[in-house]
Amino acid sequence: MSDSYSCKSYREASLRRGVSRRDLIRLGALGMVGWVAARQTALSQVAIQNGQSTTENVLVVLFLRGGMDGLNAVVPYADEEYYRLRPSLGIGAPISKTAIADRALDLDGFFGFHPVLKPMKPLFEDRKLAVVHAIGSGDQTRSHFEAMNVMERGLASDTRGSMGGWLARYLKSTESASDSPMRAVALTSVLPDSLLGATHAVNFSNLNEYQLDAPLDVRSDLAQMYSKGNDAVSLAGMDTLHVLRKLERLDPQSYKPNGIAAYPDTELGNGFKQVAMLIKNNVGLEVACLDRGGWDTHVAQGAGTGLLASQLDDVAKSMAAFAGDMGSEMSQVTVIAMTEFGRRASENTGLGTDHGRGSCMFLLGGGVKGGKIYGNWPGLKEDQLEGPGDLRVTTDYRDVLSEVLLKRMSLIDQRDIFPGHKDSHVGLIS
Amino acid sequence: MSLSRREALAIAAGGAALAASGGCRKILRPIDGDGLPVSLALPTLNSSANMRLLNRAGFGPRPGDLALLEQKGRDSWIEEQLKGDLKEPLHLEFEVNQMDVFHLDAQDLEDASMEEVIEQLQQAQLLTAVYSRNQLRQRMVEFWTNHFNIYSKKLDSSFRLGSDSWSVIRKHSLGNFGDMLRASAKSPAMLGYLDNDVNKKGVANENYARELMELHTLGVDGGYTQKDIQEVARCFTGWTIENRFLRPRNTARFDPEIHDDGSKLVLGKRIPAGLGEKDAEIVLEVLLKHPSTPKFLARKLAKYFLGTRNKQVEEEVVLAYNASNGSIPEMLRPILDPNALSKSPPILKRPFDFVVSSLRAIDADTLAGAELLNQLRQMGQPGYEWPMPDGYPVDTDSWTGSLLARWNFATRLSENAFGDTQPRLAILKERFDGAEIDLMTSLFFGVASNHESVKQIQPILKRKLSRNQEKRLIEAASLCICAPEFQWR
Repeated sequence: MSDSYSCKSYREASLRRGVSRRDLIRLGALGMVGWVAARQTALSQVAIQNGQSTTENVLVVLFLRGGMDGLNAVVPYADEEYYRLRPSLGIGAPISKTAIADRALDLDGFFGFHPVLKPMKPLFEDRKLAVVHAIGSGDQTRSHFEAMNVMERGLASDTRGSMGGWLARYLKSTESASDSPMRAVALTSVLPDSLLGATHAVNFSNLNEYQLDAPLDVRSDLAQMYSKGNDAVSLAGMDTLHVLRKLERLDPQSYKPNGIAAYPDTELGNGFKQVAMLIKNNVGLEVACLDRGGWDTHVAQGAGTGLLASQLDDVAKSMAAFAGDMGSEMSQVTVIAMTEFGRRASENTGLGTDHGRGSCMFLLGGGVKGGKIYGNWPGLKEDQLEGPGDLRVTTDYRDVLSEVLLKRMSLIDQRDIFPGHKDSHVGLIS
Repeated sequence: MSLSRREALAIAAGGAALAASGGCRKILRPIDGDGLPVSLALPTLNSSANMRLLNRAGFGPRPGDLALLEQKGRDSWIEEQLKGDLKEPLHLEFEVNQMDVFHLDAQDLEDASMEEVIEQLQQAQLLTAVYSRNQLRQRMVEFWTNHFNIYSKKLDSSFRLGSDSWSVIRKHSLGNFGDMLRASAKSPAMLGYLDNDVNKKGVANENYARELMELHTLGVDGGYTQKDIQEVARCFTGWTIENRFLRPRNTARFDPEIHDDGSKLVLGKRIPAGLGEKDAEIVLEVLLKHPSTPKFLARKLAKYFLGTRNKQVEEEVVLAYNASNGSIPEMLRPILDPNALSKSPPILKRPFDFVVSSLRAIDADTLAGAELLNQLRQMGQPGYEWPMPDGYPVDTDSWTGSLLARWNFATRLSENAFGDTQPRLAILKERFDGAEIDLMTSLFFGVASNHESVKQIQPILKRKLSRNQEKRLIEAASLCICAPEFQWR
């Protein structure tokens, strides 16, 4: 097509050059010794991909919105306080008189998975999946929006003087002229805050619907109108046109996942499936965002079955299917599942739980030193809890995010992304 | 010229009224395009500022609105809108005010499916925004609907939302903030959505208490503590939804049996034991008198109407709140000041805004059926479907991803794909005395085609319009709807 937006097709053309500025920055960090080896790796990967640049690892961030109850997801069954605090909602110990459906699946003799997380258990045993417990931010408001804001912007606790999202800053700090218009994709109906301010970030809830139902001349009219401005809408318009062109080559409806585990027919399952398809089709994806709401279980959250169980079931099945589908390519993909806060240690009169502090985080895939529960367990005794009776946060969520960005992605200096954060790592990425 | 559906309905409604009143009135003429002037003039030089006023205080101009505003004068137009009691077009009354969701009890509605109920709620929302003459009232309805957001798909919310949107939001949207807050606190839809219906003594449920302070009144940095949340939650224990046998279900009820009647300390105020249902009222009064509440509202209103914070305007809003005891029109006056409006940056239309302003610009005849509503879903903003209590986001970046769906909407509109939604460009052309290209730029951008602000799109439009095709007018309109300039207000 010789319309006016081909003037921007240098982006696509330069994708085939192989070594991007990002690579060079990274190489610089490695120093001269590493340079040759890394360059060879980069080049050989390019060669293997027959001109397609896929030298990057991919980060998939799943945000569990509403405050996931970490205490019932990864159960500290050996902490006897747990059963005192949750007489009705507690998940039984792996060996106990509880009905099997309400018994935790043992992980390390102290913690156990909620029974519906069974599909994730083999991944844990294969050391592909790790859990960080009692993790969170410094947010003390226990407000969903404040806590999400803090995390999605990569801050310690205070969102005043708010800035863009942490993923947006990461993308910015590693941007280059050869960037794909699909560096960052959110499978959501509105762009998540973590990508606020990112260039080349698109969001859509369904790839199948990402089509322009208009005659060709409309397309060139659009290109003409949108190529002029430098405002947020004009830029987004150009990105949209580029993405459309990229996606035209794909056929999402006929996508056949690998692996035995089937994706659940849920928004999340379909989201993971589409991420897999985008990665396998080398569209230049580096960051994918997924959302799963519905964790705000103030009322009747259930134990082995019920509200929380059906939420966790969806997550477990989707993540397991994704890992199965990606197969050996999973070594290039790291999945992080995080939530804004955990819930009150004790149950309320509505057999639910109110907003709390520490929760848990799941990490899966490339580089993850799995099969382990990371973090210091603060305990559930009255004097060990904080505020109105919440699990203390002993690991700063930024310790994990910065470790992933530094070791798996091309970040050089974490201070660019997490202002004021001391460079400390959990050691869960190899 | 055949009658449009709206005109036919207007006659039918008029006819029914005629029959009912014994036929003592003269035969009702079809309303002339609901006040559409017989001839349409080109916008004048002033029109950019007036266009902005119509885009901010309302959902953009319908044909003729700019001329009407100019004729009336800015000040009296604003006064009229602040009152918000202009008589609505008959067809709107006919179609919306008689909808089941507003008249049947939640209990009777439960015979319908949740999907049907939500569709009707969304339909009412869209039709009212498109056709209401009280545009500022509709803007405020949008604002308050998000401020007191309720997710229609949580449990039984959908069946209770009709009465919430009618007697909490619409009723008070230009009234008194305190009245609206008190109505919301006892609205079954809110009681259910934020779990207060199961808030009992013992370990109280904090959900409503928290959002009441964080989102409805004080704002997150408004000076309350976790302890305050727990105390407010105790005050609200016992406020639940009626579900006893043979009682009118889905009404608010205070159940003293589950109320925590001990003494409480809320934001420094001691509430003595034994006051029962009065506890909640006292809490609301404390919050309404708290200095953080007007500050928080001022900040939100400024962001919504001006796209950014404005210290001076916010201070004036706070003063107006304090002086008028929470009158919403008084708070809006400083916001709609021409100076504040003209200095503010452009605001990206959210999808609802975008669809409504498109339909208004082409004076569409629409019933807002499922196909049209589905467009809003594609763009990410179907009414009453934001799950979290903070309402749909207002910042630009959240919505730039909806462009593709916006373009598809415009194209489908030009292909007459919605069935029940027709542009009335032929009538407009008939009444318009300029060139077609001026018709287009005045409809969508409020200026004549030689105006600086449309110089990008002008040549493209010209090319479109020069083609000898039957559909060229609607295709040109569709292009304008797609244009980057039309995404801003």
